[in-house]
Amino acid sequence: MSSDTLKKRKAKVIRSDGGTPETKRGRGEGDQEVRVYNEEVELEGRDPEQDYVLYKSTCDSLAKLMAEIQELKANGAKEGSEEVEEKLRQGCVHFITLKKLNRLAHMRLKKGRDQTHEAKQKVDVLHLQLQNLLYEVMHLQKEIGKCLEFKSQHEEIELVSVDDFLRDAPAEISRPHLTKDDPHQLTLARLDWELEQRKRLAEQYKSSLCSKEKILKGIELKKEYLGSLQPGLHAIMQASLPVQEYLSMPFERVQKQAEVARHLPPPLYVLFVQANAYGQACDKNLSVSISGDVDEAKALSRPPEDSQDDESDSDAEEEQQNTKRRRATVGVQLDDKRKEMLKRHPLSLCIDLKCKDGSVLHLFFYYLMNLNILTVKTKVSASADLSGAVSAGELLNSESLLNCLYASDHGQETPNPANRYQFDKVGIITFADYVSQLGHPYNWVQCLGGLQFSSDRPQAEGACSSLSASHMEATMKLLRGRLQSRLALHKQFGSLEHSIVPVSSECQHLFPAKVVSRLARWTMMSHQDFLELHFVQHVAKAGLVKETDLFFMAIVERGTARLQAAVVLNPRYPEITPLFSLSLLWKGERSGRSDDNLRAMESEVNVFRSELQGPRPGLQLLTNQIQRLCVCLDVYLETESQVCDGSEGPREFPREKMCLRTARYKFVYDYIVKKIYI
Amino acid sequence: MGPVELLHMSVFSQSFSPCGRFLAAGNNYGEIAIFSLSAALSPDATDLSQKPILTFTAHEGPVFTLLSTDTHLLSAGNGEISAWSWVELTKRSTKAVWTRRPNYKSSLEIPEINAMIINPKDNSLIVGGGDNNIHIMDMETGTFKSVLQGHTDYIHCLALKEREGEILSGGEDGAVRIWDSRTRQAVHCIEVFKYEECARPQFGKWISCLATDSDWMLCGGGPSLSLWHLRSMSPTSVFPLAGCQREAVFHQDVIFAVGEGPHVSHCLLGGSVKAQIPCTSPSLNTLALNLSSTEHRVMTAAGSSDKIDVFTNFSYRAFSLSF
Repeated sequence: MSSDTLKKRKAKVIRSDGGTPETKRGRGEGDQEVRVYNEEVELEGRDPEQDYVLYKSTCDSLAKLMAEIQELKANGAKEGSEEVEEKLRQGCVHFITLKKLNRLAHMRLKKGRDQTHEAKQKVDVLHLQLQNLLYEVMHLQKEIGKCLEFKSQHEEIELVSVDDFLRDAPAEISRPHLTKDDPHQLTLARLDWELEQRKRLAEQYKSSLCSKEKILKGIELKKEYLGSLQPGLHAIMQASLPVQEYLSMPFERVQKQAEVARHLPPPLYVLFVQANAYGQACDKNLSVSISGDVDEAKALSRPPEDSQDDESDSDAEEEQQNTKRRRATVGVQLDDKRKEMLKRHPLSLCIDLKCKDGSVLHLFFYYLMNLNILTVKTKVSASADLSGAVSAGELLNSESLLNCLYASDHGQETPNPANRYQFDKVGIITFADYVSQLGHPYNWVQCLGGLQFSSDRPQAEGACSSLSASHMEATMKLLRGRLQSRLALHKQFGSLEHSIVPVSSECQHLFPAKVVSRLARWTMMSHQDFLELHFVQHVAKAGLVKETDLFFMAIVERGTARLQAAVVLNPRYPEITPLFSLSLLWKGERSGRSDDNLRAMESEVNVFRSELQGPRPGLQLLTNQIQRLCVCLDVYLETESQVCDGSEGPREFPREKMCLRTARYKFVYDYIVKKIYI
Repeated sequence: MGPVELLHMSVFSQSFSPCGRFLAAGNNYGEIAIFSLSAALSPDATDLSQKPILTFTAHEGPVFTLLSTDTHLLSAGNGEISAWSWVELTKRSTKAVWTRRPNYKSSLEIPEINAMIINPKDNSLIVGGGDNNIHIMDMETGTFKSVLQGHTDYIHCLALKEREGEILSGGEDGAVRIWDSRTRQAVHCIEVFKYEECARPQFGKWISCLATDSDWMLCGGGPSLSLWHLRSMSPTSVFPLAGCQREAVFHQDVIFAVGEGPHVSHCLLGGSVKAQIPCTSPSLNTLALNLSSTEHRVMTAAGSSDKIDVFTNFSYRAFSLSF
């Protein structure tokens, strides 16, 4: 029912919705002044509070009406009665009021929404503008930053300082009036100036290059000229060689030697100079020569950069080769290190000492670079044939020939204490293993080369070549003496092995004419064998036996008596007397310890060196000692056997000599021997 | 003295100083060494105190005999006698006070002097040497008063019987002769080798040691060491010592003897060998007892080495002095 009413209402009322007041209406007949019902205008005039109150009252009255109608209907009123109809009409009016209020409410809402929407739009536009501006600002800032960071190439050019520039540059470039204030102009001016200067210098450079070329060409020409001179000079020198030899002034040889000597390492050089000097001044039989590879020596002294390049090339080659081979083991590397440490300088010095009888002692001196010591190897070329004596095998052995030239100089260990640390690094325990290969590092060799090492015993410090000079003469004399004594011994041994004691005519007066005891055997012994003999213990205990000594056994016989003599020969013979120890086998065994007679015989032979050594340089000491031993044995046997006469049969040893006195008690044998040949 | 010389050194004679604090020893090289006993025997002795305080060459030949008087040291070597003042020696001055030589007949060679003794009664020095004679020298005047001849071979040793004034001499000829010092005549002559108990023909007949103690005489050498009763001129005990004895002394009730063999033999008067004390030298030449000093009462023995053994207690070797 209400819907019917609503429809009716619609047809009757002209309404205008929306915001725009409609001017065109269908009911008004062309009337310009149409009264347009603008509900919006009305809306603005109404107060929402009032509308709300109205709404509330309308609802109440409607509710009241409904209640009245209800009552009426309940009281039995008929359909369509007047009161009910009145109430219904009032009710409808209230309904219409409610609808209007609803409409108004809707319209207010819409308006509010529209307003909000508008405001929002405005705000959005402004916001957008703001964003745009901010973006623009940022962009501009970035640009500014970029501009500020820009490094122009001109800054890399080193420019002369401002003061110099202002001073040097001509006015048209520097334009001081402009540049004083304006840094940009200043920089431009400076760049201009720089450019100009560079152009000028480039010109200069080209011109100097040209002149250099010219000069180089001039040098080339001159060098060619000099080169052509060289063969001419050489020819002249060759021609002059015979003249030099004729005049005995071997300039060229000396010069060549001096040339090569320049490449010698310092110790060898000192030795070379001193030996030459000594040879010229004192000893005509000494000659010095240098042997070895000069090129290698030169290579050693070349600056390291060249050799590094070579090494890198060779390393590259080696690596290519090595990829096919296995990697070297640690042992091989250590071996290489050792070889490196023990390397010899390619040049070596050879000193030849000639003796009167024609034999020559060759000494080869080597320098071990990393260890800074000198070593020496020897060779003897004898004038006579040396093959005779078996026992003399050790005498001229090059290993031991120069042993103990000075006392206790064995030449087995390196004299440089610093080498100990070097050896530890590569695992060399002792230098003695390499001595036979590298030569002996005797102390006197170091002294000759001017090398002095601090030792346990403090010694006076001396300068290099003065040390060498002071030792040179003494050492050369000792070397010669050594060679001569060894050669003499060699000869003597040859004869001793044939049971002949060689006594020279000068020494004949020391002995009686007839000596009956004879040398039966002469052999060499080793150190071990010697120490095992029971009758030499006193000598060993007195510290007179060393490993470097040579040991021999002589057997002297007469009849049933057999005398064994063990001989200790010090390498420094004849400076040091050979020591004899005796043991006699005749009616029992006696030795120097048990029998005072034998002890006297030992002293007779060992102690009286001054008598027995014969003419200088005392090379006959050993043979004279042996001869005296034979004489003493004669005397002893003859006098001892005297004791037994009467009780036993004929004397085994008739008295051959005229002994004025026999002194058995005090054993004064030299007394006897002196008197024997009166 | 190198090690070789030391190895071949023999000490032939010893003598203590009159004060008893020093020992002089002579060796075969003609050197005399003076040792300070007080230093060597002191509690803080070092190795150095066993070395001589002075060593000098006294004679050309070996020093066979040394003798000390109250003030002087007499040494004899190659036929000449030298005297040295003990006071000077301790001050290390080696100038001889005098050097004299007995009159030797033969001029061919100089005989060595083997033994010397002093006769305190008439202050004379009795010298026996290699010319088979005994020479007597007066100490005050220095002249050789007389010569006792009789031996046929050189004289090894001399001894003096103080009470009777008799000189005993033993020699290479095997005879012990007893001389009267006043009359200069030989009183007795004993040929020891003729007695069977003593004789040892394998060694020879020479007499190398003699010692007397009132009526008793010790002699030995080639024959065995034997004790003789001089009144009866017969051997009472023979000592069974191997080797030839070179020096023997009486000391209280014991006899000390040294000779071949590295030991000092202690023998009792009855003829038995009580002990043999080992020594360093393989054979010994000389034995000396320092009886003049109470605090340095030692026995020293030396022979065929450079060492002199010192016995503070006679039963063992205490230490050795060395040249």
